[in-house]
Amino acid sequence: MASEHVFLPIRQLGHLIRDKHISPVELAETFLDRLESLGPEYNAVVTVTRDRAMRQARNAEREILSGQYKGPLHGIPFGAKDLLATSEGIPTTWGAIPYRDQTFDYDATVLQKLEESGAILTAKLAMVELAGGMGYRQPNASITGPGINPWNKDAWSGGSSSGSGSSVAAGLVPFAIGSETFGSILSPAGNCGVAGLRPTYGRVSRYGAMALSWTLDKLGPLCLTADDCGLVLNTIAGYDPNDPSTTKEPYQYEASDLPGQRFRLGVIKGVADGADEEVQANFRESLRVLGQVASIDEVEMLEGFPSGEVTRTILNAEAASAFEDFLETGRASELTAPEDRYGGYARMSLLATDYIRALRLRGLMAREADRVMSRYDVLVAPSRATVASALDQEFRSVAGGGAPDVMGAVGNGAGLPAISVPNGFGARGLPTGIQFMGRVYEENKVLAVARAYQSLTDWHQRHPPDAMPKN
Amino acid sequence: MSTAEDRIGTLLDLVRERYGSGLSPEELEHVRTGVERLVEAADAMRLVPLNNSDEPLATFVPHRAREV
Repeated sequence: MASEHVFLPIRQLGHLIRDKHISPVELAETFLDRLESLGPEYNAVVTVTRDRAMRQARNAEREILSGQYKGPLHGIPFGAKDLLATSEGIPTTWGAIPYRDQTFDYDATVLQKLEESGAILTAKLAMVELAGGMGYRQPNASITGPGINPWNKDAWSGGSSSGSGSSVAAGLVPFAIGSETFGSILSPAGNCGVAGLRPTYGRVSRYGAMALSWTLDKLGPLCLTADDCGLVLNTIAGYDPNDPSTTKEPYQYEASDLPGQRFRLGVIKGVADGADEEVQANFRESLRVLGQVASIDEVEMLEGFPSGEVTRTILNAEAASAFEDFLETGRASELTAPEDRYGGYARMSLLATDYIRALRLRGLMAREADRVMSRYDVLVAPSRATVASALDQEFRSVAGGGAPDVMGAVGNGAGLPAISVPNGFGARGLPTGIQFMGRVYEENKVLAVARAYQSLTDWHQRHPPDAMPKN
Repeated sequence: MSTAEDRIGTLLDLVRERYGSGLSPEELEHVRTGVERLVEAADAMRLVPLNNSDEPLATFVPHRAREV
């Protein structure tokens, strides 16, 4: 298997597989070898699922050779954040020492759907312990150690889908599944310079995924391109009777771009204020580029509204309940990050009336956001205010009350889809990202704008030098 | 109406009563910071007026098993 295939997008890999220029077995072996040899360099992998992967790859090869090609994910290797249940004795650790031996006798719905599409599970990927639900404030908060950034090994890759971000960036898998409650797909995508799509809440079944916050958790893909995110979403989206929050609203990825199509973009007033200088400069340049295909207006949205408090209160209350037994039995003391050993206890005092007030305010927030966004195809903002933090650097967690992040608070609180794609580099050679956020169920608009941006730039075609295959 | 400091103290007492035996004094100080943030968030939310008709954005659906 030629190593030049390592950083090819799914769409191109799929064509090569369909046309029998690449063997799914050889492709799986290439990525399994990279996961085993390079994965530890980035603390990116919990378990390499070699036996299962090779069985699936041989099946895919047999099917394709017999003319039963299933579509663009057939024969494509991928990794899954280690909070997705896997059968066959493969551990599902939730990134946490107390759950290191946990196993399930079923696969999460998202993994079932990917298997049915012919995709090949090659690894369970590293994550922040309990998806950051205990309020971690620094990168060393995982059973696998701090997630290491492929662009700079002194920097963080997370979080909390740290391994999903770094594995795609380092060419260990063509795509990965991550989860986001409040930032956990967009942050690693931004930190690692890859595309990360947070679908609308309820678009993708959560069945078999660790619950951190039932009304905030979303699953989505991290890939090399926005187009690839659409291909993966097309497979994993859909109603699931095992997850009553899933929508019956159908989803079909629309990959074709209309000639001369122009978009209407909104930028929330002051959304980049306080961001790193390089982040602001790259954002300004991105807006200049986007001006070729879009009109851009400054907008006011929910100014003065406590959107961060609303979303954080919902997260805190639901996480407290989800992990009540865990906290009651004192197992938090076994977690890696010292702050995670006590971080969950404060929220055990959160009042029911405060939680319900947050749910009521969520309604006002969602309606006002939708009203403003109805005038635009997407809102645009920097993915993160900073480049990835240093491995030994403390940051303020979202759950603990970080810097104002209106897009994250409103987007997650109202369940809106968003994508982060790379838009340049900042301090210490680290990537910066730009995010596009759309109205509920408008993933196709979000993806169309991101594709248009990527057609005008080449940031997504750059890869970490240390991760380049050596022929 | 009690002060924020009173409410923080009351809520912290609750945590101390239920979980204090497993937490060091230093950890309890950190828990106090966490409780302060919860109270700050709650106070910020209370500044937004709500009408009686503003329902939680969470729909209860009565359950009935599908008959086969």
